[in-house]
Amino acid sequence: MLSSWTFYISTLVIYFGVDLLSGISLNLQYSYAGVINFGYIVFQAAGAYAAAVMTLGPSGGASSFQQYVFGANLPFPLPLLVATAVGAALSALVGLFSLRRIRRDYQAALLLIVSLIAIEIVQADVPLFNGSNGLTGVPRPLAAVLPLSPQGYQWAYAAWVLFLCALVYLLVRWLSRSPWGRALRAMRDQEDAASAVGLNVTALRLQVFVIGGAIAGLSGGLLVQFIGAWSPDAWGYAETFVIFTAIFIGGVGNYRGVVLGVLLVPIIFIQLPQFLPQIGYPGLTDSLEWVIIGLLWMLCLLLRPRGLLPERRSIALPDLSSRSA
Amino acid sequence: MLDTLASAIAFGIILASVIAIAAMGFTLQFGLTNVFNLAFGSIMTVGAFAAYLAQVNGINAWYGLGVGGVAGAALTLLLGRGLFRLYARRGAKLFEMVMVTLGLALVINYGIQAVSRNNVYQFTVLQAAPMHLGPVTITPTQAILVGIALVVFAALEALLRLSRVGKALRAMAAEPSLARSCGIRTGRVVIITWVISGFLCGMAGVVYVINSQSVGYATGELFLPLVIAAAILGGPGSPGGALAAALLMGVVTEVVSAYGGPQYSTVAGFGILVLVLLFRPSTVLGGHGRETRLTL
Repeated sequence: MLSSWTFYISTLVIYFGVDLLSGISLNLQYSYAGVINFGYIVFQAAGAYAAAVMTLGPSGGASSFQQYVFGANLPFPLPLLVATAVGAALSALVGLFSLRRIRRDYQAALLLIVSLIAIEIVQADVPLFNGSNGLTGVPRPLAAVLPLSPQGYQWAYAAWVLFLCALVYLLVRWLSRSPWGRALRAMRDQEDAASAVGLNVTALRLQVFVIGGAIAGLSGGLLVQFIGAWSPDAWGYAETFVIFTAIFIGGVGNYRGVVLGVLLVPIIFIQLPQFLPQIGYPGLTDSLEWVIIGLLWMLCLLLRPRGLLPERRSIALPDLSSRSA
Repeated sequence: MLDTLASAIAFGIILASVIAIAAMGFTLQFGLTNVFNLAFGSIMTVGAFAAYLAQVNGINAWYGLGVGGVAGAALTLLLGRGLFRLYARRGAKLFEMVMVTLGLALVINYGIQAVSRNNVYQFTVLQAAPMHLGPVTITPTQAILVGIALVVFAALEALLRLSRVGKALRAMAAEPSLARSCGIRTGRVVIITWVISGFLCGMAGVVYVINSQSVGYATGELFLPLVIAAAILGGPGSPGGALAAALLMGVVTEVVSAYGGPQYSTVAGFGILVLVLLFRPSTVLGGHGRETRLTL
């Protein structure tokens, strides 16, 4: 009994870490570049696919039970690096055509359409992505090498995920306090003025989008190496909205708000109902859960439009610049 | 070879009529109020389920078009005058409103999923013998759907071009504050917009299920991206543009499906929008992306 509880809690910690990376990525893209990335899951799934094929070994071709391209058997941290790079590269590609100066609501719709196109392509292209079956049997990194019990491995992996979260968090915070971060805020607050003083706003926006995509790829790689499976159904576009609800409820533009939101929404609201007794027919609890997420979302936009922990005002004086969150 | 092409084009026109009715409603609503309504698909589903319930209670499927339309109009008016205005009064801008409609879409969709027990229901329309037009074989039902799309387009154009209400609508879409100072009752025009666009939305949901013969909670949601793509491609506020864009997307989707395999058909439909945004963004955006304001 006790061991099943620690197993469950360590799994939640890992999910929390992965969702936190997603939250940081979306928050960076939204609050600094003003990009609402409804296609987020595509970049996460691309990273996950890359990490999966880099650990599954060479593909057995059309005769084996799953097909994929460019299989390899890279040692431990390398698949994650590939995942990060793939997320960044795909972001650069999508960003090139979706980050023009178009209305933000169009842009959001365009990115949502990108994620729908991606799902169609993945399901249609069996030789490339194994169709809607996805990939399974992705080995856990270093599982054979480390002298750990399954319990111990769980906690070690959780610690690894949290370590990477801390690393990414510090990196993003450092970036947002740098001159580059100030340029981003200038672009967000006064785009015309920012371009008038010589900032290339399109390039800046693309840079933020690519960094967000890299984090997305990393989070996907971490998740797929833990759960061991990847499929277009489980990585659908609705997952993006869970993270968006989290950062909206927590507080856009404030990283502590993102932590709070990720703790509240994906962890408490998605995972907790699994403990509640089933009511009605099977599946009713799931539907009601989404209704409640939608209501929460709307209530939050009505009552606390800037989130529970709003972004702090940054004052444009040199000695106070470190206060900006 | 040419026969395949002719059939593909005919099916493209049928698909286009289904897209076009919804896209005309969307473009009217969006062009006037500037609410980018992601709950539009959910309201389509509500219309479709209203028609389904009417059918279960013995009302002919074709009258269901009216039932669905009225349900869509009533719900849209309620949301527009109640919910959206509440948020706008509290300072929601264009973008916050997208988020509001997205939350609303989740509530309506999964609410329907909960009530409908996540089942897909059969929506039957009496089928007459198929008609042969040269190499093309279509059912009378499909021909009627094309006719409905054309009638809706003609009625909408007539309303916008010939009536006083239509003139007021066009004036408000162009410049709300100027229209108001010219003595147009803007509140009333907004109500009319919600009612007409909501009616088209609900009716489009019914048209969709008459064509697909089944109704489930995800009916409208899966269809919405095509509708939005057609509305953006056609230019906001232009029923003619929406019709032309729907025609282009429908025909391309079916032709790709006939020659390249069905799995890439939807991708091709969306691909048009992406290509246009890539190479001719000004066609879609109507000049520069000027900040517009909500009109509620």
